[in-house]
Amino acid sequence: MSEKESIELLRKGLTYARRTRFREAIIYYKKGITLNPKNPEGWFLMASALIETGNYTEALAYCEKAIELNPHYSDAWSKKGLALYHLERFEESLFACMRATTLNANDATAWYIKGVCLDELGKTEEAQDAYGKSLELEIIIDIEAEKKKVGR
Amino acid sequence: MKADMPLSKPIRLLISKTEEILDTEITLRRDPDAESGGTLIDVYTYNLEKNVIIFPAHYIGLLKDFIIAKHCTHLLIKGAAAKESKYLILSFDQDSVSRALRQIYTDTLKDEAKKEKKLPVEKLIQMLFILYQHFHDDLNEVPWNPIVNASVYSRMPKIRKTQLYHVMKESKADMDEMMEQENIIPRRYFVLDKAMFYARDMFLAKTLPADELKPVINIPQMKKFNHLEVKEMLTTRWTHTAWYQSKVFGDNMLEILVRNLDPIDWSKEPDIESCNKIYSTGVNLTNDLISYMSMKDWFTWESPKHLREADKVKGEYEKTALKKIFGDLVTDLLENAK
Repeated sequence: MSEKESIELLRKGLTYARRTRFREAIIYYKKGITLNPKNPEGWFLMASALIETGNYTEALAYCEKAIELNPHYSDAWSKKGLALYHLERFEESLFACMRATTLNANDATAWYIKGVCLDELGKTEEAQDAYGKSLELEIIIDIEAEKKKVGR
Repeated sequence: MKADMPLSKPIRLLISKTEEILDTEITLRRDPDAESGGTLIDVYTYNLEKNVIIFPAHYIGLLKDFIIAKHCTHLLIKGAAAKESKYLILSFDQDSVSRALRQIYTDTLKDEAKKEKKLPVEKLIQMLFILYQHFHDDLNEVPWNPIVNASVYSRMPKIRKTQLYHVMKESKADMDEMMEQENIIPRRYFVLDKAMFYARDMFLAKTLPADELKPVINIPQMKKFNHLEVKEMLTTRWTHTAWYQSKVFGDNMLEILVRNLDPIDWSKEPDIESCNKIYSTGVNLTNDLISYMSMKDWFTWESPKHLREADKVKGEYEKTALKKIFGDLVTDLLENAK
């Protein structure tokens, strides 16, 4: 019962997050996590909302919890990379993004942050490769978005 | 800078350099409904406290970086002109609207006379101001596009592939404009519209450089004009098609672009002085294009505030201009058209 309720609360939170109402989203995510702390998605969603509101340290803790529950959770690794990037911990961010791209080679954000971190660490050539991969994926996303727009 | 998103090093440097030169602040904002080319809302054009660059929410990496680079570059040019109190944009007033609408009406009549299927008179009247506004918007934007792109290409080598993707996408979208109205609007305006974009794309194809950007390669309707001798072109039925005419006019506009833009040293580190020179070049280029298109008395160079005010009363301008052409009859027609 609480599992179902938890999912419902997370869904509600996500609806708010999509409308960039992150404060409301966080309230629902917190309730969802309390009802079912074993669901890594709750921790991940919370981390995403915290990043959007600029709470990077807190977001990092939520990412780590999501990864602890599911070490193969590629989105959580990607989000961890993003949080670490914002905290200017570029080497750790790079590691997290490498993990994310290994688990999901189609994660454009992770490839981009990887490029940014490599650039920051002075590894320009490697950065270009990561940017190149990120651009390829972004173009696919963009073409899909344009198709949706036309279909609207 | 206010940004809560990852940004590549060159972009961060560009933003802080722009802010430093202009002594202003730039905010970045994602918006799911943003234009694919992004939008710059700047303090020099709008009555705001800070500059905002808006881009589609799904631009997460280099696509976003290019949009930022493009708008920062344009902001630098506008800001430099504003600092020297010479930032003006194309605006309009009652007289310029009246002159333009009369001209468009005359050209429309010439075209309509040759058509089998005539345009209903209400639609024809409505089209006049729509067409005028279309050229007003385009002439306030199109001449700055090759300037901004040439500058970004020179200053931001790491995002050149992204730039090419964007420019190709933009080119296709612009060439698609007015397609549904091809048989409605006077040929002359369809051709001038396409010619402007043709010239811009040809200039960028040379500047980037990227052959695939040439309209004779990128735009399906123009492909048949690639690798044709002038003599061959002149002796075929193509001379009568709008797309062939767009190419001819476009080649002349390209010469105007090259003449104005070739002397600029794009690699020069930007400062107020160099950006001011670029702004003046942009104004001259716009004026040359307007002259070539015989629209010299259609617009006036004014402050952005003037344009904001003009926008508020454009409906009145339109009505008065139409009355000058059609007399009181137009009031009934406009009412009927609603």
